[in-house]
Amino acid sequence: MELIIGGAYQGKRAYAEKTYGLANGDVFTCAGASLQTGCRCVEHLERYTLACVQVGLDPAEATDVDALEDKILICDDISCGVVPIDPIERAWREQTGRLLTKLSGRASRVVRVFCGLPLELKG
Amino acid sequence: MNYLLSGGAKNGKSMLAQNIVKSMQPDRPIYYLATMIPHDGEDRARIARHLRDRDGWGFTTIECGRHILRALDMADANGAFLLDSVTALLANEMFLPGGAPDEAAPARVADELAEFAARTGHTVFVSDFIYADAGIYDDWTERYRAGLAYADRRLAQICAGVAELCAGNVLWYKGGWPA
Repeated sequence: MELIIGGAYQGKRAYAEKTYGLANGDVFTCAGASLQTGCRCVEHLERYTLACVQVGLDPAEATDVDALEDKILICDDISCGVVPIDPIERAWREQTGRLLTKLSGRASRVVRVFCGLPLELKG
Repeated sequence: MNYLLSGGAKNGKSMLAQNIVKSMQPDRPIYYLATMIPHDGEDRARIARHLRDRDGWGFTTIECGRHILRALDMADANGAFLLDSVTALLANEMFLPGGAPDEAAPARVADELAEFAARTGHTVFVSDFIYADAGIYDDWTERYRAGLAYADRRLAQICAGVAELCAGNVLWYKGGWPA
């Protein structure tokens, strides 16, 4: 498992495509509360976690981490900023952080992308 | 050598930027590109405070809230420049008072900043890292965030030094600065 995190619009997917030679069909873009694990890469995990929270699931608990063992995972860092007033957004922020911490622990490599430039946090 | 400094608010970006530009001074004049267009007394008070902070540093201040390349009509392009900030410049270009937001502003501003860097070769660009919160924004704010990130990434590609500031600490992603 390899985890790529960073702020929004920082060039995370472009970094993954270049580093791992990914083509379009290799990338699953999250859009709902389920993960398709047939692709090498899963991006926008934060959209998956938001969808989970919106249907009452806790993604930090409900996600089958074993199924992501050989995946390249991409997620926006949403952990900074003011605690959101909206309870759904607040749960989203917290559970995304807990899931990412769990995934970071499992991943063999963790990279943070900043303005298109990678910084290896683990690996 | 051009630099891009980013990070959260009040983490020491401006002070590092001033020090880098100051270090370039022996060979060239130094300029501060003021990008904020004041709208009220609070803005004017902030500008007065910044002017006092830079007092004695030897900067010539150029007011330039839009059309950044025009600053070079008022300066020696061989000088060293502190552009603070990309954030304000893009906001000024994208959200004109009384008009519709300008969707083309991010690409245009990024091009102009890249040209500014190429023509001067000694500019420190200061931006703001506004990309890691859990806010869900309206469409134009989201486009502004995407646009600023685009300008940041373009600058990060061409600048020889790129750093993130965190509580006064400097994390270099590219290049570095000795002090």
